[in-house]
Amino acid sequence: MSSSLLHPPSHLPPATALKHSKQAPSILANSPGAIATSTLQSLLSASETAELWTTYENLLLSCLRTGDDESAHQCLGRLVNRFGDDNERIMALKGLLKEANAGDDNATLDVILKEYDQILQENPTNLPISKRRIALLRSRGQIADSVTALISLLDASPTDAEAWSELADMYFSQGLYSQAIFALEEVLVLQPNAWNIHARLGEMLFTAAKTSDTSKQLAEALKRFCRSIELCDNYLRGYYGLKLIAKQLLNEPQKATKQAESGEFSLPDSATLRKLDEAATEKLAEIVRRYSAAEKGWQGYDQAEIAAAQQVLQNETEATVR
Amino acid sequence: MTWLSKSTTAFGLILLAHACYSAHEHSALQSHRVASLTSLGTSQSGTATSLPIDITIETIIATFIICLGLVSGTSRLRPIQWRVWAGQIEREGEAGFLNSSGEVEKDYVGNPFRLLESRPGFVDIRKQRKEFAEWVKNQ
Repeated sequence: MSSSLLHPPSHLPPATALKHSKQAPSILANSPGAIATSTLQSLLSASETAELWTTYENLLLSCLRTGDDESAHQCLGRLVNRFGDDNERIMALKGLLKEANAGDDNATLDVILKEYDQILQENPTNLPISKRRIALLRSRGQIADSVTALISLLDASPTDAEAWSELADMYFSQGLYSQAIFALEEVLVLQPNAWNIHARLGEMLFTAAKTSDTSKQLAEALKRFCRSIELCDNYLRGYYGLKLIAKQLLNEPQKATKQAESGEFSLPDSATLRKLDEAATEKLAEIVRRYSAAEKGWQGYDQAEIAAAQQVLQNETEATVR
Repeated sequence: MTWLSKSTTAFGLILLAHACYSAHEHSALQSHRVASLTSLGTSQSGTATSLPIDITIETIIATFIICLGLVSGTSRLRPIQWRVWAGQIEREGEAGFLNSSGEVEKDYVGNPFRLLESRPGFVDIRKQRKEFAEWVKNQ
């Protein structure tokens, strides 16, 4: 059994999803379908592991993605057998299966949405279902409704980092940068050690600074990328962002920093920026070199990210040669 | 690596069992001799109760060998500094978290904060399905 079946599969590349879904029939045939509840029977049959149910859930998601509905139904059936129909998480998975089968049929989607509404009327605290409802609204393009629902969800449960992150993403997709940045900062309040969220916030601030052009946002972005590198050695994404920002700040020097008096983080002087730029270039070059040389212990990076870093380094050398 | 540590441990256990058996035999022999000596009327005791030095040495060496085998069979130690640990996840991926038999450890989750970016609770399954169909078409 592949270990990555124990992780939620939504970020995996399509090839891995296909591989998992092809494994589905054999996994379903080899794993126990139901776990005996009585003590006597459980002594005789296979023992229950937590991984088994995680595997079923992730297998279900992979199968839905690849369109293997038969295996998906089997996985769901086993989960329902074990946890019952009224388990909140199972209800969300059932909804997911229906959504996947509905495709673009608007009438069916309306029915599903009504079902979600009804479930929420009976039990407004059903978090998995209200998340599904928000996701379905967003997927149908009703962003405004979706944001309203998400905000009321966050009013009820303000410590849900995943929901804050979703809100940030929705605002970002609508170009509402300051709201998106606020939501992402909430995520960081809840998960201060999340190095990828620091980098993501840096990216958002960088994008926002492009449209509104304030040096304050660039300084903040610089700080975020530095923090993500501080939290994670050799973090490609952090160094990449640091490189871009340092280059931009060096190319077009900002006006004298007036924000310094308000106690906020002000832009460092150009000597520090140059040092940061050099450090980032050096590190990126090292990462690219060692990854391309297939060195052991440097193969965890994403290939697309490496290619992007290579591109930036190449542009840099061309500029210097000229 | 595992068979080496396992065979070392097994060898140590055999040595230890042998030492115990020798000690038992020695004491049985000793009590037998003491009994026969007292029946003869002579009272010679004292040094006779201590174990011969080779059994003691064997016991100590066996304990060390067992410890060595067990220690070499444990999984690799994890970094205790946050940034080193995080850097290892990013740099090595799954390959950095293999247990001694070459499989990815069961509690390996990769970057635990990746969930905040992939957000499985809000997954848009219809979009994913479409994207997958596109990908299959382009293959």
